[in-house]
Amino acid sequence: MDLTVIIQILSIGLTIGALYALIAVGLNLIYGTMRLLNIAHGELIMMGAYLTYSLFTGMGVSPLLSIFAVMLLSLLFGLVICAGIFLPLVKKSSSVGGLESSSLLVFFGISIILTNVACLVWSADIRGYSYLTGMVSVAGVSIMYNKVVAFGIALFVCVGCYLLLQKTMLGKAVRALIQDREAARLVGINTSVIYFFSFGTGFAMAGLAGCLLSMFYEITPFIGMPYTIVAFIVVVLGGLGNLFGSLIGGFLLGLFEAVGVSVTSPGYRPILSYAVFMLVILLRPEGIFTKRKRV
Amino acid sequence: MGRGRQLAILLGSIVLLLCLVPLAASDYHVSLVLDVLMWVALTESWIILSGYTGYISLGHSAFYGLGAYLMAMTVTSLPYGLVVILAGLLSAAFAFAIGLPFLRIRGPYFVILTLGLTELTKYVFVNMEIKLGGTVGRVIMNAPDLVILYYSILAITVVATVTAYFAKHSRFGTALLSIKEDEDAANALGVNTSMYKLLAFGLSAAFPGMIGAVLALRRSYIDPYTVFSPMVSFQVIVMASLGGISGIEGAMLGAVILTLVSEALWAQYPYHYMIILGVVMIISVKFMPQGLFHPVEQWLLRRARSKQ
Repeated sequence: MDLTVIIQILSIGLTIGALYALIAVGLNLIYGTMRLLNIAHGELIMMGAYLTYSLFTGMGVSPLLSIFAVMLLSLLFGLVICAGIFLPLVKKSSSVGGLESSSLLVFFGISIILTNVACLVWSADIRGYSYLTGMVSVAGVSIMYNKVVAFGIALFVCVGCYLLLQKTMLGKAVRALIQDREAARLVGINTSVIYFFSFGTGFAMAGLAGCLLSMFYEITPFIGMPYTIVAFIVVVLGGLGNLFGSLIGGFLLGLFEAVGVSVTSPGYRPILSYAVFMLVILLRPEGIFTKRKRV
Repeated sequence: MGRGRQLAILLGSIVLLLCLVPLAASDYHVSLVLDVLMWVALTESWIILSGYTGYISLGHSAFYGLGAYLMAMTVTSLPYGLVVILAGLLSAAFAFAIGLPFLRIRGPYFVILTLGLTELTKYVFVNMEIKLGGTVGRVIMNAPDLVILYYSILAITVVATVTAYFAKHSRFGTALLSIKEDEDAANALGVNTSMYKLLAFGLSAAFPGMIGAVLALRRSYIDPYTVFSPMVSFQVIVMASLGGISGIEGAMLGAVILTLVSEALWAQYPYHYMIILGVVMIISVKFMPQGLFHPVEQWLLRRARSKQ
């Protein structure tokens, strides 16, 4: 294969992969610590994208500055939802199974509320704006600036989150909770603080992802669900509760899609991703980066 | 008089009344009742697997879409009634085919696996349609009269409800409940859980297939994006959880209430209806996790006990 083609595929795969990783790490953080499946994750992304769009077209705020506002708002939203709904739910529930299905319903409720609020506020029309559309040339391949910027920020935040989890006491507590909630409580970890942390961080990362992808993708109130499913695919690839797995899984899926689309056609992209996803769940449900243990 | 017998008499009279609807009511009211019945059937069939065993499935949309597409592709060449039955068989066969590997997967993995299944079938159909005809959608022609569709849906709903009832009040139901309580323990005691789950999955899938086939004829045009919409699965879950997932009464209650609310709001305020739906879901999980029917059931039990 031609070198430029390879670089082309790599650049597409890595950019989208970094966004996938960002989305998936946030989703997995909430699942890992609280055992909650956030199917409203994509809608948070959608809201982040709309907020960025409105700030840019309405007030001329640069999307790169909006990042802070969007992340802060998402974080606050996460904290409120966590305190109001999920903390009581987690405390009350006796079985993991019951919690999973009830959290699924609540998140679905949140997701349809957000989708339809977006329909009311922004209408169902396709929105978009252009920002940083200049081209940068890498080894003969032209890439748009905004994609390079998005890649850089997503990678920075993912790696930052990973280091936070590996190198700090807070991160250690989060990992302990992911491993065993009861044991973590027994050794004196304040589980409520960790719940707030992971909820807030997960929501903020989703908002950030929305902010970044609004720079080059169209926005409608319905873009959420596909991103939720992508996040699930990545999380399953890397293993539920395995954050490092999600980071690598995001890039893997991004590259896989880029290669897959270039050998088949764009129409097959969803089929390819879903097929891989279902194969992984069926053959190796604990993820490809998690050591196999007896269930 | 036993509770089962009371229930049979109550449901029997409701069905009789429903049979009379097309004779007396306007087209608008017939379609309204048809909508209510359709959601009752979908919810009743969903609880056979997901309510009784706790395997929360988002796959109902996939079976619904499969039925709808079978109808859209064959409506001009095969008799209507035959296609409806074929749609049920096809959906059940599909569930049996994927059931063995799928039902080994538990908990949240099963939920997202079935969500993935719906999306995968949707995009398989999108690509297949592009290959076959160049366009994605299909125009529906030769649709039978509304009254015929009404009676088909009524029949499917009755069969679905009766099936859901006997799937609970039987040896089969006890096995399904044991899977919900503790699958490993049930297995250890010699319950063939894989077989029971597979049967429940197949039964549960047949009805959305048939409903999808009939409902395709209510539209003039269908495409994979609308008939494989995950909203069908989600709405069924909301209805079941609102009413209660452990029996036919709760499922029925939830489906009837939400369909009527949706009918009242949908046409004029679609976004508001969806927002209300979301709020209802959150409130019902937070304040009545066992569903609306639970307090009624408790009251009936207390009354039965005080009579003795």
